Amino acid sequence: MIERLSDLYGRLLSALAYCACAVLFAMMLMICADVLLRNVTLIPSVRGLPWANELTENMLYLITMFSAPYLLRQGQHIRVDILLRAIPRHLAWHFEWVTDILAFACCMALAFYGARATFASYDSGALTIKSLVTPEWWFLAPLPVAFVLLAVEVLFRLHRLWQGERGPRDDAVSAS
Amino acid sequence: MTWQIAAWILLGGSTVLLFLGLPVAFTFLVINLVGAMLWLGGEPGLVQLARNSVQSVTSFSLTPIPLFVLMGEVLFHTGLAVKVIDGIERMISQVPGRLAVVAVVAGTVFSAISGSTIATTAMLGSLLVPVMLSRGYHPTMATGPIMAIGAVDMLIPPSALTVLLGSLSGISISKLLIGGVVPGLILSAMFVIYIVARVKLDPKLAPPSDLVEYHGWEKLRPFVQYVLPLVSIFVVVIASMSAGWATPTESAAIGAFATVVLALAYRALTAAKLIAALRGTVGISGMILFIIVGATTFSQILSFSGASSGLVSLITGQGLSPMVVIAGMMLVLIFLGIFVDQVSMMLITLPIFMPVVQAFGVDQVWFGVMFLICMQLGLLLPPHGLLLMTMKSVSPPQVRMGHIFQAVVPYIAMSILVLALVFFVPSVAVWLPKVLG
Repeated sequence: MIERLSDLYGRLLSALAYCACAVLFAMMLMICADVLLRNVTLIPSVRGLPWANELTENMLYLITMFSAPYLLRQGQHIRVDILLRAIPRHLAWHFEWVTDILAFACCMALAFYGARATFASYDSGALTIKSLVTPEWWFLAPLPVAFVLLAVEVLFRLHRLWQGERGPRDDAVSAS
Repeated sequence: MTWQIAAWILLGGSTVLLFLGLPVAFTFLVINLVGAMLWLGGEPGLVQLARNSVQSVTSFSLTPIPLFVLMGEVLFHTGLAVKVIDGIERMISQVPGRLAVVAVVAGTVFSAISGSTIATTAMLGSLLVPVMLSRGYHPTMATGPIMAIGAVDMLIPPSALTVLLGSLSGISISKLLIGGVVPGLILSAMFVIYIVARVKLDPKLAPPSDLVEYHGWEKLRPFVQYVLPLVSIFVVVIASMSAGWATPTESAAIGAFATVVLALAYRALTAAKLIAALRGTVGISGMILFIIVGATTFSQILSFSGASSGLVSLITGQGLSPMVVIAGMMLVLIFLGIFVDQVSMMLITLPIFMPVVQAFGVDQVWFGVMFLICMQLGLLLPPHGLLLMTMKSVSPPQVRMGHIFQAVVPYIAMSILVLALVFFVPSVAVWLPKVLG
């Protein structure tokens, strides 16, 4: 039952990662279109896309939030495992529990306070006024959602840790 | 609460969590939560922490990270990288240790179009090491040059980690990217000279073998067809950035777009390969960006708690000259490189190092380039250097870990020489950014 749920959840996270890919590709095209329109007069009334920079920043944020839970599932959030490899395997396995529980608490706390920031912004009707005028809560909302997704994934990780071999995980250790 | 206690909680706490194996991003988020409760006023501070987390990655200056990574991913997923090796191999014929030299030159070209040291090392290692071994090359001569040039990838732009260093330290990203070019090329040249000299002294390390000699257009064709157009992307990226036509972000987008268009023109890009490249990009850059979510606020809390200024006063109050302090910082970085990855190196040290560098008024680009060389060294230092592990994973079984450790030693020495060169002759790092900037 939990394996089936975990599998379905993995598909949801994978779908979000595909969304991140789409946002990334769109971001690249938009920046190029902005540079092109700014330097070459293709349409006389259009000199660049004034909102492109602002939208790019928000797209980068969305890529981060869409991909973070998927990367946790893939074990791609890098860590330092030198100590875990040096100590007895069963002790390393217990450390994995400690760090996962810390990660879960951290995700829940950030989801909670992120949601509070979002609701407070919604209630006050706060606006982000740059090239575009948008409700501020639009950009705050993805944060608590992403951290809830991360918290749920940590629970599945704990389940896999319980089911798996009594030793440290093979998560990624570098970004290079 | 004194700044010493704040420093212990924030720096000591994050170090303990890092070594317990908590992912880097979560380490900083956990410490941020503690810091917000202690120094940002409890509840309001925690809400502000959530807001800061959104702001940290909503930044135009970070946009080159995924775009630079995408350039390399497209190159590797479409198989264009193999064509580049072929193009360079045909151009280099009568040189001692020919295949090792080909690896260094091809690696330098990849460095100019890709931002991933692992991808460069894995690709060159899996393609060239078996061929070199079959032609009687000693395992140290087959593996050493590839690991060394893989590490140089970090110095020569485009480099996602250089953008991250610039973003976290506040050093000009474009100047930092351009500043890595000359030391990177010096290292590549030193590697080639070393290989040729070493093989001349001891030909058994890389016995000469029969090779198919190409003449005329057939010799030049793959170079003109594949290498030159791909290198031209690097020229466009650097030129547009340094001429001020485009910001680093915009030139990264142009570079990524040009790579996609070129791959399409070679009929090497399919929808599946593009998606694979995008997924690879999201994997690397999403992870880096998520770390920034925690790291930016960590620096702010460190500063707000008084730990940053306390540590800076402590260091600057010792009466040491700036050169001694900077040299000490480089030693700390090299030491850290033995144990931790490059992102963690930045996150642990930059919040302390940068205020000191600013207080001394030293050239930040010079400091940044030396920081990059130290990170590059960290990739090669036994026993945990990442490229050593990468090389072992792609090498045939007869290449033992002992060979790999032995192979990398001369290249570590050369990297330290270049670090010393930049330290004593700063213009090696700052001349090009000044000329182009």
